Amino acid sequence: MLRRRPHPFLCALLLVAAPGCYGGLGANDSNAAADSEDAGSTAGSDGASTGADDGGSVFACDPDAVAPELPLRRLSKIQYASTIADLVRGAAPEGDVDAILTELDPLIATVPEDARETIAGETHGGFRRLDQTVHQEHVNASYDVAVAVGRELTATEARRTAAIGSCATDADAANDDACLGDFIARFGGRAMRRPLDADEVGFYRSVYDGEGAAVGMDPEAFADVVAVMLVSPQFLYFVEHGDAPVAATADRYWLSGHEIATRLSYHFWQSMPDDELIAAAESGALLTDEGYAAQIDRLLADPRTEITFGEFYREWLWLDDLAPMDALVGTALFDAVRGDFEPGPDTTANMVAEVVDMATWTTFVQGGGFEELFLSDRSFAKTADVAALYGVTPWQGGEPPVLEDPARVGLLTRAALVASGGNNTRPIMKGVFLRKGLLCEPVPPPPNNAAANPPELSDEMTTREVVEELTQQPDTACAGCHSTFINPLGFATENFDSLGRTRTEQTLFDEAGAVVGSKPIDTSSMPQIIAGDTTMSSGAADLAQLMIESDKPQACLARNLVRFTLARPEDVMGDGCMLDEAASRLSEGVPLVEVIRAVALRPEFRQRRFE
Amino acid sequence: MGKPRQLLLARRHFLHGAGGFALALPVLRSLMPRDSWAGDPPFAKNPRFVAFATEHGGVWEDFMFPGATTLTDTQAYAGRTIRRGALVRTLDGAQAGVCPVLSGPADVLTPELAAKLNVLRGLDCPFYLGHHRGGHLGNFADNDGNGTDGVVAQGFPMPTIDQVMAWSPSFYPDLSTTLERSMIVGSRVSWGWSSPESGTGSIQEQPPVFSSLELFNRIFVPVEDDLTSARPPVVDRVLDQYRSLRQSDRRLSAADRQRIDDHLERLDELQRRLEVTVSCGDVMPPSADSTDEWNSSSFGYDPAAQRRFWQLFNDVIAAAFVCGTSRIAVLRVSDTFSDFQGDWHQAVAHEAHTHDGGAQGTLWAAHQRFFADVMLDLARKLDVDEGDGVTMLDNTLIAWSQESGLFTHESVSTPVVTFGSAAGAFATGQYLDYRNLADEGMYGWSNGSTQRLNPGLSYNQWLGSALTAMGVPKAEYEAGEYGGYGQIYVGEGREQYYPSGVFDVAGETLPWLGSD
Repeated sequence: MLRRRPHPFLCALLLVAAPGCYGGLGANDSNAAADSEDAGSTAGSDGASTGADDGGSVFACDPDAVAPELPLRRLSKIQYASTIADLVRGAAPEGDVDAILTELDPLIATVPEDARETIAGETHGGFRRLDQTVHQEHVNASYDVAVAVGRELTATEARRTAAIGSCATDADAANDDACLGDFIARFGGRAMRRPLDADEVGFYRSVYDGEGAAVGMDPEAFADVVAVMLVSPQFLYFVEHGDAPVAATADRYWLSGHEIATRLSYHFWQSMPDDELIAAAESGALLTDEGYAAQIDRLLADPRTEITFGEFYREWLWLDDLAPMDALVGTALFDAVRGDFEPGPDTTANMVAEVVDMATWTTFVQGGGFEELFLSDRSFAKTADVAALYGVTPWQGGEPPVLEDPARVGLLTRAALVASGGNNTRPIMKGVFLRKGLLCEPVPPPPNNAAANPPELSDEMTTREVVEELTQQPDTACAGCHSTFINPLGFATENFDSLGRTRTEQTLFDEAGAVVGSKPIDTSSMPQIIAGDTTMSSGAADLAQLMIESDKPQACLARNLVRFTLARPEDVMGDGCMLDEAASRLSEGVPLVEVIRAVALRPEFRQRRFE
Repeated sequence: MGKPRQLLLARRHFLHGAGGFALALPVLRSLMPRDSWAGDPPFAKNPRFVAFATEHGGVWEDFMFPGATTLTDTQAYAGRTIRRGALVRTLDGAQAGVCPVLSGPADVLTPELAAKLNVLRGLDCPFYLGHHRGGHLGNFADNDGNGTDGVVAQGFPMPTIDQVMAWSPSFYPDLSTTLERSMIVGSRVSWGWSSPESGTGSIQEQPPVFSSLELFNRIFVPVEDDLTSARPPVVDRVLDQYRSLRQSDRRLSAADRQRIDDHLERLDELQRRLEVTVSCGDVMPPSADSTDEWNSSSFGYDPAAQRRFWQLFNDVIAAAFVCGTSRIAVLRVSDTFSDFQGDWHQAVAHEAHTHDGGAQGTLWAAHQRFFADVMLDLARKLDVDEGDGVTMLDNTLIAWSQESGLFTHESVSTPVVTFGSAAGAFATGQYLDYRNLADEGMYGWSNGSTQRLNPGLSYNQWLGSALTAMGVPKAEYEAGEYGGYGQIYVGEGREQYYPSGVFDVAGETLPWLGSD
């Protein structure tokens, strides 16, 4: 529905004492829960939101500070599915692998999806690997999958020969005992990501025996052993006991070689360690700085790492929240708004992929740093729909096409970050995303019922004008945040319409979709990336530059990278060294891949705290 | 694993399946342990619970509620005069109903079925909740934080009442036939403890299903399962592994051990489920799956497809109740039941109170379709004789709640519509109005329209009433100063409308609703 006159009534009614968006929010309290454990580690110590005006990192590195540890982390669904697949590939005849995985797919699908978990008090964004809930369905589904894997790997003589060895199918009973022992050690070692000890081998032998039910090389008994292994805590969780104590600490320990191998492999590849990583663990090479760094280099060079960090960028940039672009096709107003551009059912996914490809290409192919990521002038649109929005030919791989449109000035102007899929742009939500997602500054909740009055498409005013009249009335609670903290960021990209196309004028429509006029777009604003800074921005290019100069988005990316790496909310004090290293390097323009490497090289990645 | 019990199929009935699967089922009574029946038949001692949670609300009172003339009785209660009356079913051609939204085909919403309805008005969440999912069943913390009150509420996560029931030894005194303690359809409607048996740990969302076929597979034990193995079940050995790690002297943190304990509880539940060997007789697997509908690109504005989607779940729920493999179902229905193609949230729900009534017309018609196509459909499917003239519906409480009251975002007078008497715990056929008409101090606001709102009783009281009806003793869920279920929090500036007298009665079953 169109709004002819904005309704200022709401804000007038709700003159509640909303906190000011600067001053009252000088500290990012996103770590309040985690920080509360550390004396002196108050929300106020989290200076990221205030920027690094001195040019250094906003984080403080205190080598003695200790971060909380994530207890008994479980495999994420992606990690679980990848590990099952890798185990099957390593145990089944090559020609049977696809059939087995197809058989397992419906069962793996019953494992609950991981939710995007974020930090306390935040409702947007988040990373799936932070979801540590364990539901009944996890236990039920993993049991069903484990039983099915056991059944499938032992279903035929050929499969038993491949998984267990020819000793399992030959007629020689004399080798049966060794056959069983070898299988338990080999398959179990792969599943548990470490060698089994004698007690464990004995335990699995007893599983095989089945209270005396097993006779000879019994396929059902082998299947049971596989099943029990694949629901063990050592398989479903990252069970870590640590090794040597960290000097001069009370409760910190270095991880063992196999524990490090597991952390590395799941961090970079989302799956179990490969033979080379296991060998490095067993030889002790992983416990040396050189050996550890060499393995990180090897993991980083593997294509699986690019996929993993594609997931990271996708989740960091809230790309899963992008609305469908085609939902309103066929409605009069939207058809008028979209003109001859017809978004299809895949357009949203194509927009998301374009940003993910941009980020991973910049990171792993170009070797770019933060500015290259933030200001990339290349198109990564592989499909005709998004390429058409950009006015380029689809990217076929290789060197990506240059975006000739001067309005496309990097990340902030990618279609996935400016499109709404509706009749109208959403400058408020764009502003909220930039403030929260890219600057890591909390936005206080709106007054009660504020959301009841969304800005609507007007036949008289631009969307910016509607938003200003609705939310920036002087002396209202709304204006406190909207006029300084939210709207100026969102207005900067109002030169893109709701489908992400460049515009200099906003066409005005009536309800039936008839054009009734147009008004010029105004992208100027005072974004106040740093509180009180009165520098004006003329649009997205200026805004991006101001953001880069503030070092805030670099600090924010550092937060998210540490969060993703540790699979838990960062602790500003306890993780200060890791945060500081990441943020400093990002601000210095160090290539992104080097920052990823540097975070994993931190000693904290190889340590574990036990309380 | 033992051999499945073979049931005595002395009496069967065919469910009113909507095409999902053919099912010849024994009556529930043959499945119920003898002591689960009340000494005073005909009602079952252990009733079932179904909750439908729909989005937005905002339906005008003339559409959502019966006319005021229906309210013939009054009573002083909690500092106000409350009102009630018998629901009046009226005919409009082939349609029958008690109000425009609560209407359906006359041959389905028969006088007998209409008499099993209740319409509750004047149940309030006494703070600004805004958009939420969790409030329907008591976890007010799951809200969007679009308001200062909502942010406060986010700090108090609670299990939803279905999970309280699901893990209550009073609700499930005998789990021998239970495969799923609670069937959850649609995201973010049910929350429980990470260690549900002990009621400890963190509050976490319960994962939903979207596939009726997957739900079917969870609640039925295939008779053709291989039963010939002489090998003992491996779940015992799985438990051994976790206990061994838990008790080992290897280095673990206290929190690590808690995680293992949580997992052990889940394994106990898995073991229990694996020992359920009930068979329902001639069960044919469903021939259709809800996701077949859902995957259609036009599903979002195809009310017929949405009807089929939800009716497939209704089939599975009814079958599970008949078989006794579950007694709880909660469903979050986020479909619009409208052919409106566009931004429903902004263009319809948020416009529900524009004076021209255009959006409202779309909104209430959609709610009517939900009622007729989903809620009424399930009521009809359950309204089959279980013996002694009592139907499965009589032994069930179906409750439909909306996200908001008469105004989108505002949780004052959130409508609650019920079917069934909860095994005799509730009187039915009533329109109950708990508002304090003498107090017009509050206002609702939406898109240029304001209206006085009369404060009602606490929604917590409704939640507690439902728990009580389901046989969950207050000792299992009440905590704090007041009765009822869940945290009681009065929003900023609303204290005057909700004096302590409102909460003093929160532990009582809502007046007139109880059958005694």
